[in-house]
Amino acid sequence: MEGSSPGVGATQPADVALPLGRPGRRRWTSRLGEYAGFAPALVLFGVFFLVPLGLIVCYSFWTTVDYNVVHDWTLDNYHYFFSVPTYVSTFWATVWVSFAATALALMLAFPFAYWLARYVSKRYQKVLLILVILPFWTSYLLRVYSWLTILGPQGAVNRFLEWTGATSQPVSFFLYDRPAVILVLVYLYFPFAALTLYASLERFDWNQFRAAMDLGATPATAVRRILLPQIRPGITTAVIFVFIPILGEYLTPQLVGGTRGVMIGNLIVNFFQGAQYTRGAAAALLIAALIVVLLAIFRRSLEVEDPYGT
Amino acid sequence: MTSIDERLFDERMSRGRVLRLGAVGAVGVIAAGCGGSSKGSSAAASATGKSDQAVTLNWLTWSDHYANDQLAAVKQQTNEQGRPQLFSDNADAYLKIKQTGSQFDIVSGDALWVPKYNKDGLTESFDLSSLPVSSQLYSIARDFSFWKDGSNYMGYPFSWSTVQIYYNPKFVKTVPDSWHAVLDPKYKGKVSLENIPTDMMAIAGKATGAKEPYNMTTAEIADAKAWLTEFKPNVLKLASQNNEVVRALADGSAWIGITNLGTDDRVKDAGGPLVKPAYPSEGTVGFIDSEQMVVKSKNKDAFPRFINAMQQAPYIAQNFITNGRPLFNEKAYKMLVNQGHEDRAKRLLYNQPDKALAMTLKGPSGNEQAYTDAFNEVFGA
Repeated sequence: MEGSSPGVGATQPADVALPLGRPGRRRWTSRLGEYAGFAPALVLFGVFFLVPLGLIVCYSFWTTVDYNVVHDWTLDNYHYFFSVPTYVSTFWATVWVSFAATALALMLAFPFAYWLARYVSKRYQKVLLILVILPFWTSYLLRVYSWLTILGPQGAVNRFLEWTGATSQPVSFFLYDRPAVILVLVYLYFPFAALTLYASLERFDWNQFRAAMDLGATPATAVRRILLPQIRPGITTAVIFVFIPILGEYLTPQLVGGTRGVMIGNLIVNFFQGAQYTRGAAAALLIAALIVVLLAIFRRSLEVEDPYGT
Repeated sequence: MTSIDERLFDERMSRGRVLRLGAVGAVGVIAAGCGGSSKGSSAAASATGKSDQAVTLNWLTWSDHYANDQLAAVKQQTNEQGRPQLFSDNADAYLKIKQTGSQFDIVSGDALWVPKYNKDGLTESFDLSSLPVSSQLYSIARDFSFWKDGSNYMGYPFSWSTVQIYYNPKFVKTVPDSWHAVLDPKYKGKVSLENIPTDMMAIAGKATGAKEPYNMTTAEIADAKAWLTEFKPNVLKLASQNNEVVRALADGSAWIGITNLGTDDRVKDAGGPLVKPAYPSEGTVGFIDSEQMVVKSKNKDAFPRFINAMQQAPYIAQNFITNGRPLFNEKAYKMLVNQGHEDRAKRLLYNQPDKALAMTLKGPSGNEQAYTDAFNEVFGA
């Protein structure tokens, strides 16, 4: 039955019901038509993603001598990264920051999306969703820069603290450290998490939730055992949309992180600025490899054939 | 002409004013072309007037080499539109030129990068005297030995600056007259500087007594790395742009900045506190900028006219007011003096272009990979 259209019997696949002229030709052209929609994406990804990715792979196995890329195949770049503790620690710091920012973004986004999907009328949902995506109308750089004004010595936070009498002079603690990076990343990626979770919660059948509570489940139990298993693909998608881009972040740590908030992206930028393309390519591929591994892990969570594990 | 120039450049650069200024510049261009020597007169003619057809010149440069209004005025004057694309580090620009062929027409470059471009066949030398505007330059700027290519010059001299220490005397009580002074633990998290690995390594090389800071030996690189490691706790942030250093000094989050000449004025303009310059006894590194003609450019004929129009004294004087570091146009200096900016110009060494040769000039590193590796190993998490 899977894959058939409503009203079409299990023994009669949908395409059999199509009017027939010359069956073989029709099927071939029909299939071509199906794939025609895929062609632009194929060209786009082939030319602008796969080819550059292939080049990066090649570069990562080459070397740079006097600003020239020398096509001598070697593992030196990879060996270098794993032999220098700074890169390993920066790599793990990047994963840690990404994890913390993703967790916080989801923790903030879930209650918001839940409230929006369950308690707000459709009319106001649209308004609030527009407000969520409103920051996208300004540039990324501007949004990060604004936090310099908020967290800086002359910023809103310090002025508020001085006004309340909590501090007598500006506190420099808020800026140029890892917490500032995480805070700004949560702000930047909150809309991705909120929109994805909202899309998932909006499709959820709340009668099941009510049924669970009618049968004696507490609200927390109903969320944990009924709601979360069914919106698991949405949560996973939100994690993918937030965690993976953060892994490659370099501008936010550059602007608000100071020397204590460095992520691997900053070191990669230094390589490219210094024309060390081969080192930079290898470092970038290590991040890409981590992303592939994570996607493979997440793939299972996207399949919800049996949400209750029965 | 001088009085009109002086009146115009010092006013706020509204679009209308810049267009008027452009017209004044055009008069200067033509007058200089007519009054030029017989040598190179045909080239001088091609360096003035208006292109028959509209030309767009793709220009790989820094943001302080032009103003948008200036580009508009030059376009009106010459029919040549400069289209800047920004880069951060010389190495980055060098590779872009190397890899893009005729995509760019002009590239800006620092001091010893210029002969590297030239030697590697990426840029083309030209007869500097064929550009009438070159008569406005200090004579020393027309005579840099490292930019000479026979009777030709490898680039048009633009600006220069030392990279030195600026400090806030409210918090820094002892003048930091040595690079080692910035290592003092009492300045923890209070030093801001630009994120340019090669130059930071060169400064560390100066601090540790390297013979050639841009061409250090393995042992000297190790010493420089050790100096940077000691320095790291004091670094507030590695700024992506120079204006972030200014901002950090202005809002008080940094007490010390390692940055270009003119930072004191820029901090003041940003509403910040008084900051003072300090010249480390070990010496400083610094840049001498130029505009170079890309060898594969399809618009090489347009280069002289564009440069001739862009480098006119009124624009250069305004550039000094905006960006606050010395340039090589002597006529612009005289305009600044006549307009009451003599103190500022002298304080920022505009009238001492010979000082540019006293600093360690920026250039390609002998082992860029080792420099970047060492820098990253220090400033990683």
